[in-house]
Amino acid sequence: MRSTLLGRTLVAALAVSALSACSDDDNGGTSPNVVRTYNQIERLGNPLVSEVFFMKRDHGLHNSTAPATDIANGFPDKIRAFTNSFNRGPTIANTLASVLVPDVLLVFPNRAGSTAGWLSWALADGYGGRRLQDDVVDAGLGAIFGRVVDPAATVLTGLTSDNVSTSTRTYQTTFPYLENAR
Amino acid sequence: MDTPEVELNPRMDINDVYAFPGSSASRIALVVTTSSPIAGATASFDPNLLYQIKVDNTGDAVEDLVFQVTFDGGEGGNQRYTVRGPVAPPMTGTRTMLATAGTVVTGRVGTTSGSVTGIQTFAGLKADPFVIDLEQFFNIIPDRRPSTGPLAVQVGPPAGSFRMPGVDFLRPFNTLAIAIELPKSALQSSGAADARFGVWSTISR
Repeated sequence: MRSTLLGRTLVAALAVSALSACSDDDNGGTSPNVVRTYNQIERLGNPLVSEVFFMKRDHGLHNSTAPATDIANGFPDKIRAFTNSFNRGPTIANTLASVLVPDVLLVFPNRAGSTAGWLSWALADGYGGRRLQDDVVDAGLGAIFGRVVDPAATVLTGLTSDNVSTSTRTYQTTFPYLENAR
Repeated sequence: MDTPEVELNPRMDINDVYAFPGSSASRIALVVTTSSPIAGATASFDPNLLYQIKVDNTGDAVEDLVFQVTFDGGEGGNQRYTVRGPVAPPMTGTRTMLATAGTVVTGRVGTTSGSVTGIQTFAGLKADPFVIDLEQFFNIIPDRRPSTGPLAVQVGPPAGSFRMPGVDFLRPFNTLAIAIELPKSALQSSGAADARFGVWSTISR
């Protein structure tokens, strides 16, 4: 009984203290609101994963979850379902599923910087990451519809490039590297 | 190419994530683009959102380090940004809070801040770096077509292939970009030749 009463008294005292703290913050505090909890509504790792491979109905699942649950959430099967819909065969399906899930942009920072480029870590033991000038659309289309991944695959002519190139852009050579706004 | 809510609120939209060697072999640049194609000359970042770049350097697809980027309520070039990190996240996964430890860099939107030998930061309006014939892409895969905006309406006939020449659809458009450059050693858990880390970006509210 006494311990219960003591407990209730402590809880009440803490509650008053907490209310006082809130009140202080509300009366002109200028420090960041560090106790606010944020909930994820959007995410992106590799290019094309959600936008190309996933049906639109699955985009919400991708945006509201984290890479650690990508395999459990069936992301490899979603990639395979897309390539299978074009009859691209198991080599392409399984290779793309394995390099793109979990959906993080992999970087091997101690490999030569000259080998940097999207998926170069998988294709050529390179640095990986993604450069501004990487034509990831053509890289992705070539992997899915060409012979980049499977030399024996049938090439689906007309789908291996969107016929626009990053060579028409002039990325900067110094930080932050992006072209000035138009 | 997003959920209906994000399509209706393009400032919630991450367009692309980049990671590439920086100004020297020992440095790495991380770039996130958002809000294209609606970012006009006076576009501002949403002060109610938390923009993050996450890094997993232990291979379990869970973030070990984060950069947390927030904005005040200013508009255009009068807006200010705060970059926290790299720092261990207070929480991992899809919920988080602002870190109370680690490096903090602040600056005015549209300008570079920090140090060329330490952490260098930028947030502001830049040209969208992405290149794609987006219109024809949606004609080939109509399911991915957005539910609002000019691309919600099919422009050409359903297509089975890309066109020649293609149309550099995003060339006229700008993006609200965040860029961070720092020594790569700050992100690595090991100096081994095959050391690796994974990078992704999120927006939270």
